[in-house]
This record gives sequence, C-alpha cells and structure tokens, in this order.
Amino acid sequence: MSLFNTLLSSRNRTQSESAETPAAPAVTPRYEIKENADAFGLEVWLPGVAKDGLELTIHEGELTIVGRRAWKKPEGWTQLYRETPLADFSLTLAHDNTFDADKVVAELRDGVLRVTLPKAEALKPRKIAVA
Amino acid sequence: MKIVRYHQPAASALAPLYGYAGRNPVVAFEREFDRLFNNALGEMFTLAPELAPNRAGGFAVDLYEDKDNTYVRAELPGVDRKDINVEMVDDYLTISGSRKAFGADGKETEAVEFSRSITIPESVQADKIAAAYENGVLTVTLPKREEAKPRKISVEVK
Repeated sequence: MSLFNTLLSSRNRTQSESAETPAAPAVTPRYEIKENADAFGLEVWLPGVAKDGLELTIHEGELTIVGRRAWKKPEGWTQLYRETPLADFSLTLAHDNTFDADKVVAELRDGVLRVTLPKAEALKPRKIAVA
Repeated sequence: MKIVRYHQPAASALAPLYGYAGRNPVVAFEREFDRLFNNALGEMFTLAPELAPNRAGGFAVDLYEDKDNTYVRAELPGVDRKDINVEMVDDYLTISGSRKAFGADGKETEAVEFSRSITIPESVQADKIAAAYENGVLTVTLPKREEAKPRKISVEVK
C-alpha cells in the first residue's frame, strides 16, 4: 500500500475504502506463523506497543491484531530523522476455525506478541487401535 | 500407480487477508494490486536494502534532539537487554546485538545478529550516554557537550 500510495496519490483511492471501514492509516507488522503437532504459533513484532494498546480479536474466520504505540514525543523534542512509521499496527489473518478459540494464549513481551492457538481436538492426529 | 494423500497446506489455517477486504471488489482489487506491486518492485525503491527496517540485520531508527540531549530510538523488539551493545566511537553511535529466535517447539534456534551505525550530528559527552529499553524500543540519550548547546549571545549595537 505504502509504495503504491507514494506513486499514485492516495486521495482518490481512500474513498472506496472508507465506505467500508473508517480506516485509520495502519502498517502491517512483521509476523511469523509456526506450527507443531498441538498448536499454531503466531509471532508478531510490535515495537513500541504496550499491553494496554493491544487488541486481539478472534472472529469467525478472522483474527485481528491492532497495536497502538505507547510512546508520544515529549514536549521540546525536535525530530531530526525518522524511519519508524507513525501509524498504528494492524494485522488481519483469515483462518478456517481449526483452533480452539477458548484456549488461545497471548503474551506480549518486549514488543513481541506471541500467540498460541491450540489446534482443535478434531484436527489432531489420532491413533486408532485396530481390534 | 501410487496414491499420494493430499495434505492441506498448513498455511491455509492462518493466511493473510489479501484480496478479501470486506467483499468490496474495488478495495479487493486495490489490495491485491498493492501486494503484487510491492512484491515485484518493492525492493527497487529501497535505497539501502541492508538498512531497511524489518530485515535481518537492519532495524528502524529515529533521531530527536532537545536543547540538552540528542536521542536515538531504535526498534528492537524481542531482544534480551544483555544482548544489546551500544558503542560510541567519534561521531558514530553503533547499536549492535543478537536476537534469539524460537522454533515452533519453543526451542531456541540460531540467533540473528544485527548492527547499525548512526552519525550523531552534535558532539556528545561520551561518558554520560544512557540507554533504556522498553516495549521493544531502545532509547539512547546522548548529552550534548556544553559548546554544542545553543547559546544566547547579546550583541550590543553601537
């Protein structure tokens, strides 16, 4: 989005989007999805986001993470150079309900969110004894 | 003939929401276009790819100042405090260290090294540099030397 917007003005593009959602500017954080036999693991980099600025929602078929930056520029500081985006973090992942939404565990430490999504019982491999 | 069982790709369990965008075909098209565009040409517009944030070895840095200090803020999520090194040599501030990575089973995999040097525009009292790490952001406070601070000089007009 960012690159496309720099080349083509975003003004005439935002209208179609705002009709659906009053979309605040947001950046997609870097993330990683891992899997083992029992669970899916999601690791999201959210530097500068504190616990109270984080929202994790699991809907039917959709997992949304919104992270707001906790830090505000103190009075009297002048910005000389900036690389970090001002916008909040937002990540939406589609899922096919293969994990147990009641047993999801999330931990935010040092700007990294780790979410463990235990696989639903029906999905785990089962050994069936042959009589 | 061999019968090979089809495995559902694991990634479909959690996939980025490209092209969906609330069932609005225009928005969906724009997102898909952005994604393809960034994939194909994104690198071309990055002047120094090794410094681009979110790459292995690179991280984003902000520079601020007030009248007494220069501040450097670096985004270093998920790094152990003891694995961060901050060094000041001449006018260069070097932030380096390593980030431990974890596999799916929670075991540590190979650590990823990162390093970056930033030119500090004002001369700094090197012995009074302080650094703090909070929420994955490192803030380095570099006190300015007395002669670098802004001074008010009254000039008498004759």
